[in-house]
Amino acid sequence: MEGVAKDNPRSASLPFIFTQSTVVGMSTEVLDKYIVSNDPDTGKPVIEGIIDVLTKPVGTKKPTPPPPKVVKAKAPSIFLEPDTEDNLQQLFYEKGWTDGLPVIIPTEERVKKMLAGTSASPDDVVAESFKFDTMEMVKYTVSNIAVIAVMAGAKPEYFPVILAIASTRQPALMGSTTAFGTMVLVNGPIRNEIGMNSGIGAFSPINMANSVIGRAWTLMSLCQGQAKPDITFWSSQGNNNTYNNMCAAENEEKSVWEPFHVTRGYKADESIVSIFRGWAMLSTSGAASHRSLVEELNIQLAVMPPMNSSATIVMDPLVARNLKENEGFSTKQDFTKLLSKKIRIPAGQYWKTDQIDMLVASEAYKGVEPYASWKKLPDDALIAPYNNPENINIIVVGGETSPLFKSADYSYAGSAPIDKWRAKK
Amino acid sequence: MAKQLIDKVMSPEGGVQTGPAGFPPGMGGPPPEKGKGRPGGGGPPPGLGAPPSAPSFANRLDTLKNKIVYLVDIGFGGGYEFMQQLQKWFTENMPSVTTVVKRKPGNVFMDDKSDLWDEIKEKGNAAVLGVAG
Repeated sequence: MEGVAKDNPRSASLPFIFTQSTVVGMSTEVLDKYIVSNDPDTGKPVIEGIIDVLTKPVGTKKPTPPPPKVVKAKAPSIFLEPDTEDNLQQLFYEKGWTDGLPVIIPTEERVKKMLAGTSASPDDVVAESFKFDTMEMVKYTVSNIAVIAVMAGAKPEYFPVILAIASTRQPALMGSTTAFGTMVLVNGPIRNEIGMNSGIGAFSPINMANSVIGRAWTLMSLCQGQAKPDITFWSSQGNNNTYNNMCAAENEEKSVWEPFHVTRGYKADESIVSIFRGWAMLSTSGAASHRSLVEELNIQLAVMPPMNSSATIVMDPLVARNLKENEGFSTKQDFTKLLSKKIRIPAGQYWKTDQIDMLVASEAYKGVEPYASWKKLPDDALIAPYNNPENINIIVVGGETSPLFKSADYSYAGSAPIDKWRAKK
Repeated sequence: MAKQLIDKVMSPEGGVQTGPAGFPPGMGGPPPEKGKGRPGGGGPPPGLGAPPSAPSFANRLDTLKNKIVYLVDIGFGGGYEFMQQLQKWFTENMPSVTTVVKRKPGNVFMDDKSDLWDEIKEKGNAAVLGVAG
């Protein structure tokens, strides 16, 4: 480079050049075509644009306006104008505050009843989120979350769980061009106190608490502006499990192993919400009849090259019991250790997976093991990508009508206590 | 008959407090405060979440003839292959231009402050970064 421009670099527009379409997975012939085809933004060939921006002054285009200055924004009004039910439903939809399904209109009276479900002050800040469109941090109070809980259809007794989810500061909907899926797991006494389903059809739309609590998380993302298409949200296909984020309770009573929250260091009598996120959730058509579960999972998980060794297996209590009583896995850690050793995939398959190349290759370049060593291997060399058994999450959910299980590349994204949000008795 | 109006409807955006941003959440927002939740064992590799640095521009070249142009793949899918084909185009169509294809060694979402930028400043005359998304 010949030196930095003397004029203020921030005043110039960053010269972007666009190919006809996305480049990932395209053949060399297609990429060659992109290079000589017109940039859809400028109408001139991509290569001509590249040469031009290297040899002609930058900033000749209209400068990109700087991000808006953060001024003490006028807080939106607490109350909306009075209107009819139909008009309000339409308004909420048009504002982007709903998932497209009708919501319960959050009147002051309903919100007040919701607030009775917690001992927290209405003004306590529960969560902060970053708004990419305005480059601001936004703080949400207990009262803000109560409005959303009402909209989702929650009962006041669900509210502590919803506040705990909010306190994780995790969005249900991610801006990524990919299609993230999510899962919410509730452990501890509150599961049964509020009637959550951990048995038959726990992931089906048949239980009010599961449906509503999971939906409330998505409405938080929507109301917080995290899912405005082309502004803060670019998922090309989206993921319909974010309608209620696979919200369920763990079947602690039927599980032969310790509950998930205990594995993560909480006490069994604590009520805890845990969040998981990933891309692929494989729901099996039935139990493996002529293979062991380890063999079956080897096949399934081998098609999901993991980030940080992460996987989540949600198994019916029958599966866990069989593993303990007939296969000799006294603890779920015994089982995940075996999976960690057994599941092997070719190094080439691993590194040629887009998210691995994009997010893990940099670790290899920095010398972080085992990625650095894996990067040096020939394509056909086998690696054990689930190298850290602690990142393989085992969860027991189901009604013991069939030894089913689901396998996913979902990572554990964190947990939050629920009890601190409960109403004082 | 006029439909009944519903009064005292609370806005989901009502009273939210806004302020200057700290840093953008990487993939999922800042972790819970200490003692208010436990970080997950999984998730993306460490380091996601730092803000991008502000751009600064080099002076433009008069010509690319006999110049060295770095073609830097920032790590998004397909970027390296695109840069290789771009290199091929220069070789075939502007052979006096020397192109060097490099992969940015750090995380795709971060300005990793690597030696690559120093190398480009020292040895290169221009750079093309891509491909995003």
